[in-house]
Amino acid sequence: MINSSPITTWEGAEAIFTFADSPMGMAICFWVMAAMLIVPLVVTYNAEEKAENEHQ
Amino acid sequence: MTPEEMQAAIEALQGLSSTNMEIFYYWCTGIMILIHAGFLMYEMGASRVKHSLASGTKNILAFAFMIPTFYMFGWLIYLGFWQGFTYDPVWGEFGLPMSAVMGPNMADQATGVFWGAFTLFACTTASIMSGAVIERIRMASFVVLAVILGSVVWNLAASWGWHPAGWLVTEWGYHDAVASGVVHTISGFFALGVLINLGPRIGKFNADGSANIIRGHSLPMTITGLMLIVVGFFGFIGACVLYNYGVNGGWVNIYGGPTTLSAYSFNTLMSVAGGIIGAYACTRDPFWMMSGALCGIISAAAGLDLWYPPLAFAIGFAGGYLGPWAAKQIEKMGIDDAVGAVAVHGVCGVWGLLAVGIFLGGYPGFSSWDGYDIPSISMTGQLVGAAVMIATGFIPGYGLSWLFNKMGILRAGDGVQRDGMDHELEGIAYPEEIRSQ
Repeated sequence: MINSSPITTWEGAEAIFTFADSPMGMAICFWVMAAMLIVPLVVTYNAEEKAENEHQ
Repeated sequence: MTPEEMQAAIEALQGLSSTNMEIFYYWCTGIMILIHAGFLMYEMGASRVKHSLASGTKNILAFAFMIPTFYMFGWLIYLGFWQGFTYDPVWGEFGLPMSAVMGPNMADQATGVFWGAFTLFACTTASIMSGAVIERIRMASFVVLAVILGSVVWNLAASWGWHPAGWLVTEWGYHDAVASGVVHTISGFFALGVLINLGPRIGKFNADGSANIIRGHSLPMTITGLMLIVVGFFGFIGACVLYNYGVNGGWVNIYGGPTTLSAYSFNTLMSVAGGIIGAYACTRDPFWMMSGALCGIISAAAGLDLWYPPLAFAIGFAGGYLGPWAAKQIEKMGIDDAVGAVAVHGVCGVWGLLAVGIFLGGYPGFSSWDGYDIPSISMTGQLVGAAVMIATGFIPGYGLSWLFNKMGILRAGDGVQRDGMDHELEGIAYPEEIRSQ
């Protein structure tokens, strides 16, 4: 569905990872990863607050 | 053989050496993961039952958060800040997360392998702090502290003192071959800064200031975990050497100075043995005997490429004796370090740096494979390096934890500590509801 390939031939290929020729594609992946780190921290913080309230 | 055929043969051999180096490093990284298996067992065993899952979860999360954050900015800091706080865009470019070499690339077989090894160094650094703060630190704050330590602080220090161009190396001749300072001193003093703000576990100290022993729920698990850490150290230590074909004609240390793999084998084993026996002489406590093994390696690590093996044993012995003694002194100061991390890593790390200054002063300087001129080893250089490592670890650890403490997000409340940190998680450690004392 999404053509993420940076190459059309293996001849002379260098960077072969998805979106290697698309700064926008890489940027989206990068920030999605960053969000995937921040959201669990927020969830953890909320769980801690709940536990603090239940165990005064 | 014609000159052209000779050149082709040389290039083929160099290519083979390079491939072998990458394979060596790849498996060193794999072995290093055993350090984390060890830390996991060690910390869970050192926790009481009601806190054991939380201790384990905290440790696993530190490992998992370190990997993407080291990709995002950790490798960039290591490569780009060797001059101090000034960024070098030429070197730094190779660590940018959107660089062409930071992913599968047919023209670059090595970057990912070296990045992997350094990421595991980062995970180790963060895990060192993890054990000190068990049973009362809040998980979210711990993870942020671990990321700052593992993906910012230690690699900044490593860029200065564990890099052939680092200013501590090229200006002072700082010698820290297997990271007594850049990993262990940094993390030990970072942990000290956090512990001062975090405070002790409930029940650790009495009103008169005397300390109680809070035993973990499984000493066998803790001791086995420590032994696993020792196994993992062989991967860690292996990843501190490189095979540099052509220039020095063989193995080189992290600075590009000549060494042999034999040096690391001799001196690692001798210092482990010295540390165990030194700690036994000091305590006769099996927990400290295995922690003493770590004390031994950490004490000898900075000069692991140069020691005469019996001297490595003696330095390890001294470290093994020093570790539990220092832990006792730290406890007398009212600081509750649950596993002795400040003593084992921080104090023994400093001892390791100073031991290099005492015994290895005068070893000649050399030009690294990148052409940087590195001065002779000296006590002055080691003292400067130790001071930089202590400050670089302590200041951010203290400052950030002070801020979190003021925000009320550093320490779990008394109720949660009393009932068990595991209440913040799903599941229980032992279905039979084994209770800790």
